[in-house]
Amino acid sequence: METGFFKKLINVIVTKDDERLSDKSDVELVNLYTNKGDESAFDEIVTRYSDRVYGFALRITRNANDAEEVFQEVFLTLTKKLDTFRAESKFSSWLYRVTANASYMYLRSQKKHESNISLENYYPYDEKGTLMGKIMDKDWSSRPDITIFSKEALDIIDKSINELPESYRAVFHLRDIDGLSNEEVANILEISIPAVKSRLHRARLFLRDRLSDYFHEWRR
Amino acid sequence: MFMCKDVVENIMEYIDSELDLQTLKELEKHTGDCPECKAFVNTYKRMLEITGKLKDKPFVTPEVRNRLRVLLKSKIKPV
Repeated sequence: METGFFKKLINVIVTKDDERLSDKSDVELVNLYTNKGDESAFDEIVTRYSDRVYGFALRITRNANDAEEVFQEVFLTLTKKLDTFRAESKFSSWLYRVTANASYMYLRSQKKHESNISLENYYPYDEKGTLMGKIMDKDWSSRPDITIFSKEALDIIDKSINELPESYRAVFHLRDIDGLSNEEVANILEISIPAVKSRLHRARLFLRDRLSDYFHEWRR
Repeated sequence: MFMCKDVVENIMEYIDSELDLQTLKELEKHTGDCPECKAFVNTYKRMLEITGKLKDKPFVTPEVRNRLRVLLKSKIKPV
């Protein structure tokens, strides 16, 4: 009976500790791991950031196996270099930068670096400034949500994002999928804020066109 | 004179409510008169709704997570 009581007590304490861990800030977790070697704090960082690290690596590499290599490399690097994090920037920004660097390094090592095509001349209007491409004829905006947000439509947009040139793809992913600010994206990718805005703008124009083609074809 | 091109080049600031009042008025007047631009703005907004849904997509499968766990266990050294 006493043993049962103590087991329950231990469970309560462990549960409370876990709850407290998930409530802790990133910086607190980093300090727990680097100063006290608390592996459960490191586990919490892994849990918190796995999807974002893997998702960003997958967006840059466009290959699940490559993304997993980068994903593992990033967290292995963290076990050794977490103490180099300085709380001058947000931990998430720092981790995104580590992921970007690991992804580009991996692609270079595999000789998979793609040529960077510019979309700067990608715009949907003619030299007179008039819209082209029968946008009104292809207008799909009033389609029901069940069609717009279908798995197929989501797959099409995901595939289309992967058709973007690399520098546009990374900006689009961080800004419009992970929801970071222009400033954060500029900081992570080490580019200017006007460059972030410009790449995001062209990427969105490209993707809007792709979706219009898809929904137009689908109607036929 | 406000043209279709100006709608396209101001769309990001329009979506983010960052346009000055004069430009906002001109853009809204133009899109009210130009069905092509109206369709452009509406499809642009819908496209952002779709891409926003990708945020909810889980990227890491349990298998990938498990392989990372095994790898970290084998490499991590107590500090």
